[in-house]
Amino acid sequence: MNPAMARQLRALLTKDLRLELRTRETAVAMGLFALVGMVIFQFAIGTRTDDATPFAGGIIWATLALTAVLGVGRTWVAEREQRVLDALLAAPVPRLVLMSARAVALVLYLLAVQVVVVPLAMIFFVREGSFADLGLTVVVCLLADVAIALVGALLASMSVFSRARELLLPVLLLPSLIPVVIAAAGATHAVLGPAHALDEYWRYCVFLAVYAVVFGLVAFATFDHILDD
Amino acid sequence: MIGLFLVAPEDADQGVIQRIFYFHVPIALVSLVAFGVACVAGILYLRGGREHWDEVGVVSVGLGMLFSVLTVITGSIWAKASWGTWWVWDDPRLVTYLVVILLYAAYFVLRSSAEDNRRARYSAVYGIFAFAGVPLSFYSVRVAQSFVHPVVFTRGGADMPGSMLIWFVISLVAMFGVFATLLQLELLQRRADRAMRDLKTRLEALMAGA
Repeated sequence: MNPAMARQLRALLTKDLRLELRTRETAVAMGLFALVGMVIFQFAIGTRTDDATPFAGGIIWATLALTAVLGVGRTWVAEREQRVLDALLAAPVPRLVLMSARAVALVLYLLAVQVVVVPLAMIFFVREGSFADLGLTVVVCLLADVAIALVGALLASMSVFSRARELLLPVLLLPSLIPVVIAAAGATHAVLGPAHALDEYWRYCVFLAVYAVVFGLVAFATFDHILDD
Repeated sequence: MIGLFLVAPEDADQGVIQRIFYFHVPIALVSLVAFGVACVAGILYLRGGREHWDEVGVVSVGLGMLFSVLTVITGSIWAKASWGTWWVWDDPRLVTYLVVILLYAAYFVLRSSAEDNRRARYSAVYGIFAFAGVPLSFYSVRVAQSFVHPVVFTRGGADMPGSMLIWFVISLVAMFGVFATLLQLELLQRRADRAMRDLKTRLEALMAGA
C-alpha cells in the first residue's frame, strides 16, 4: 500500500465516520438490535436454567452475527441512494482501496457495538466473570470482526447491485458466517465457562485467523470482478 | 448395482444397513468434486468470460446440491439405523453437509436476483467464494466436535478389508460416471436451448423484414 492509497483510504474512512457521527444511524440501531436479540435469546434458552453461563458464548455470537447482517446491509446503501457510488467508481481510486475502506468501516461499526454489548452480556449472563476474561473475549471480537468484515464487504458489494438486496444479503452472508459463529462462540465459551479451557480458546482463535486469511485472499482475488463498472 | 447388494461383504456389526455406505460415501465425494468443478469453472469464466464456463458452473453447483442432499438423506437413514435417531448434531459429517447445502443454496438466490449483465460474473465469484468456505465449514464443525467427541471416526479409506474396498471403488467410479454424464447432458440441453433461442430471434427478424 503506497502513500497515495493510504491517503485515499483515510479520506474514504473519514467520510464514512463523519457521516455516522453526524447521523448515528447505523451504530445505534445495531446496538439496540443486539440488546433486543440477546433478551430474546435469553427467553428462548436461558429461562430453562438459573445459570446462563453455559449459553453466554452462544447467545453473544448468535446475536452479534445477526447484528453484523444489519451493519453489512448498510454498506454502500447511503452511497447508492445519493448516487455517490457512481462518482466513487468513476474517481481514480483503486478498487482495492474502496473495498478496504468498507471492510475497515465495518470493523469499526462492529467494535462500537461490541464495546457496549459484550460487557452487558457478561453482566447479564456470566457468573464470576473477570476483567481478564473480558480481555480474552476482546481478542475473539477483534478476530471475528475482521473475518466478518472481509466476508461482509465482498458479499455486500455483490448484493447492492442486485434486486431485493435486503433479502439477498442475509441469505448470502449468514451461511458463510456459521463457521465464525461456531468458532467465536466456542472461544468465548472456553473463556467464560467453568472449565476455563485456554488451549481450546487458542485453537478457536487460530481458526478465526485462518478463516479471515482465507476469505481475505478470496476477496483480494475477486473484488475486481465485482466493482468493475 | 446388484453386486453391491448381493456380493459385496457386509459389516459384521452393522449388517445390511452398512451397504448404504457404498452409496453414501461416493455420493458425498462426488458432491465435493462437483463444487470443485464449479469453482474451477468460476475461475476460468472470470479469466476468459466465455459463457460456456458459466454454464458448467451453474450445472455443477446444481448437481453438487443434488448429491449433497442425497448425502444428507442417506446419512440420516444410516444414523437412524445405527444410532436410532434420524439426526445427530454430534456427527460432524451430517452437520457439515447441512452447512454446505445452506452455503450453496445462496448461490441460486444470488443468481436469480443478480441483474442480467452481472449474473454470470457474480455466480463465478460466489462459486469460488463458497468453495473456499467448504473446507472451513468442515474444519469448524470438527474443531467444535473434537471437544465433545474425542473419538475420531476413521472408518473408510484403508480401514476396509480388500473385498469391501473393491466394491467401494467400483461404486465410486460409477458415481463419478453419473456426475459426468449428467453434466454433459445438462450442458447439451442448454446449448440446444440457446441454439433454439438464436434461431427463433433470427426467424422473427426475418419475418419482420419480410
